[in-house]
Amino acid sequence: MPPASGPTLQVESLTKVFRRKVAAVQDLSFTVHPGRVTGFLGPNGSGKTTTLRCLLGLVRPTSGRVLIDGSPYADLGQPLSTVGAALEASGFHPGRTARNHLRVVATAGGLPLARADEVLEVVGLTASADRRVVEYSLGMRQRLALATALLGDPGGLVLDEPANGLDPEGIAWLRGYLRERAASGGTVLVSSHVLSEVQQTVDDVVIISEGELVHAGPLSGLSARGRVVLRSPDAVRLQAALTGAPGVTAADQQPDGSVTVTGISAAEAGRIAFAAGCELHELTTEPDALERVFLELTGGAS
Amino acid sequence: MSGSLRPLVASEWRKVTTTKMLWVLGGIAVIYSCVQVVTLTLVAAGLLAGVPAQGEMLLDPDYITTLLAQASTAATFVLLLGIIAMTGEFRHMTITSTFLAAPRRWQVLVAKMVLYGLLGALIACVTMVFVLIATYASLLPFEHAPITAGAVWSVLVGAVIGMALYAILGVSIGSLITNQVAAIVTALVWMLLIEALVGIAFPAVSSWLPGGALSSAMDVALRADITGGMTAADRLPAWGGVLVLLAYAAVFGAIASRTTLRRDIT
Repeated sequence: MPPASGPTLQVESLTKVFRRKVAAVQDLSFTVHPGRVTGFLGPNGSGKTTTLRCLLGLVRPTSGRVLIDGSPYADLGQPLSTVGAALEASGFHPGRTARNHLRVVATAGGLPLARADEVLEVVGLTASADRRVVEYSLGMRQRLALATALLGDPGGLVLDEPANGLDPEGIAWLRGYLRERAASGGTVLVSSHVLSEVQQTVDDVVIISEGELVHAGPLSGLSARGRVVLRSPDAVRLQAALTGAPGVTAADQQPDGSVTVTGISAAEAGRIAFAAGCELHELTTEPDALERVFLELTGGAS
Repeated sequence: MSGSLRPLVASEWRKVTTTKMLWVLGGIAVIYSCVQVVTLTLVAAGLLAGVPAQGEMLLDPDYITTLLAQASTAATFVLLLGIIAMTGEFRHMTITSTFLAAPRRWQVLVAKMVLYGLLGALIACVTMVFVLIATYASLLPFEHAPITAGAVWSVLVGAVIGMALYAILGVSIGSLITNQVAAIVTALVWMLLIEALVGIAFPAVSSWLPGGALSSAMDVALRADITGGMTAADRLPAWGGVLVLLAYAAVFGAIASRTTLRRDIT
C-alpha cells in the first residue's frame, strides 16, 4: 500500500526550448494533487513527455520550476520512494531478464531485492520474470515499466502513455489499480493523447496543446461543455428562443438543420423550446461530448 | 565511500553481471593473450612455417618475461568494456532509470569508475592465470629459461594497475562520447593508428598519450610496450604513467559531467 499521502506536483511557468529553437513547452503552470488521478492530455508532440521529463529531472527547464512537495527531483532524499515513473517502454537492456532489471534499479535505490518479486507479482509478470526483455511484447514492457515505477512504493506515480500496447484486460486492470492508488491518498499523473482512454479513470484533467495550457480542472468541468442537440421544423425560431435564455453560452444552427446549445441541460433546453411553442423532433445530449471538447481545446477540431 | 555511492557501485556490479558483455570481452581478452603466448613461443622455436629458427631465444629469461607480459595485451578489451559501461546505458536508454535512481549524475560516473577499475584489476588477474598456464604448456616441449616467480609478479602488478586504469579511462571516454559506435571507433583509431604514428614520429610525446602512459604504468613488467616505436628511455617512470592515465580519466570525466552528462535525456 502506498504511503498515506502522495506528494503535490507543481509545474510553475515551465518553458523548455530545445536546440531547434521551437518551444516544446511554453509558460506552463499546473498543480497535481494527491488523492486524485490527474489526466495529462494533449495531442502527440504537444509537450507532455517533455513536461514529465522536466518533472523528473531528466530534462533541464529553460525557465520556470517543477517541484515535488516543494523541492526539485534532484533534491529528493529517496527519489524512487517519492515519485515512481514509467516513461517509455524501451528503457531496458534487451539481454537482461525482467527480475534482474528490477534488481539493478532496486540496488541503485537502496531498496530491498525482494521488492523486485513483489512488483512483478503486482503487475502480473511473475511467470515471465526470468525471461530476457528482448522476448517481451510491448504490453509486457509496459507492465515492466510500471513495475519499475512501483519499486520504491512511492506516494506519487507519473506514467507516460501507460495504456499503449496494453490489451483491453490490462487497460481495465490499470484503470482499477490507479483508482485504488488515488483512493488511498496517492498522487497519480497519467498522460494520454486520447481523452476517451482515460476519461473513466481521471478526476482532474490538464490539457495542453502546442506546449501551452488550454485547460486545467476537474473532468466534470469539461462535461459541462457538452452540447444538447435539438431538431425542429422551425430551427430559426428555436435558435432565437434559446439564444439569450439564462445559462446558455452558445446556441447555433448546424449545417444539418439541427440546433446545438451549450451551458444548459437537455431538460432545460426542452423547457425553453416548449415555452416558445417550438415543435421538437429530437432532443439529445451529444454522445461523445468530451472527445469533441478535447479536440476543440487542442485545436484538432474538424 | 559516501553513503549514496555504495548502492550505485553495487548496482553497477549487478548490471555488468546480468548481461553477456563482461563474459564476452573477458573471454576474448584471455583467449587473445593466450594465442599471443603460443604464437610467440612457436616463433622462437622456429616452428612456424616460413619463419627461420630463432636459436636460443627461449633460453633468454627476458623472452620468458615477454611471453608472460602478453597478459597485458588484454588492456584494449578492458578499455572497450569501460566504454560500453556508459555508452550501453545511452544505447538501450537504461540511462533513464539510472538517472531516476541517482539524479545527481556525477555519482553514476564515479560509481562506474570505481567498479570498472576493480573489474579491470580482476580481469588482469584472471588473464594472468591463463597466460601462466599457456606459457607453461607451450614451453613444455622445448628447452627454456625458467619461469620465475619474480617475473610473474612484476607482470601481474603491472597488468593489474594498467588494466584498472584503462577500464577507468574507458568509462570516462564513454561519458564524453555517449554514442557507442562513435566512442569505440574513436578509441580504436586513436590506440591503433594515431598513437602508433605519434610513437614513431615523436617518441618523447607519445609517453604522455594514454597508450604510452599505459606502457609506462605497466613498466614494472618492462615488456608491455603495445604502441611500437617507444623505447624504455622514452617512457615515464611507472608512477608517472599511472598519474598521467588518472589525469586523463579525471579530466575526461570532469568535462563529461559538465557537458555530455548534463544533457537532456529525451
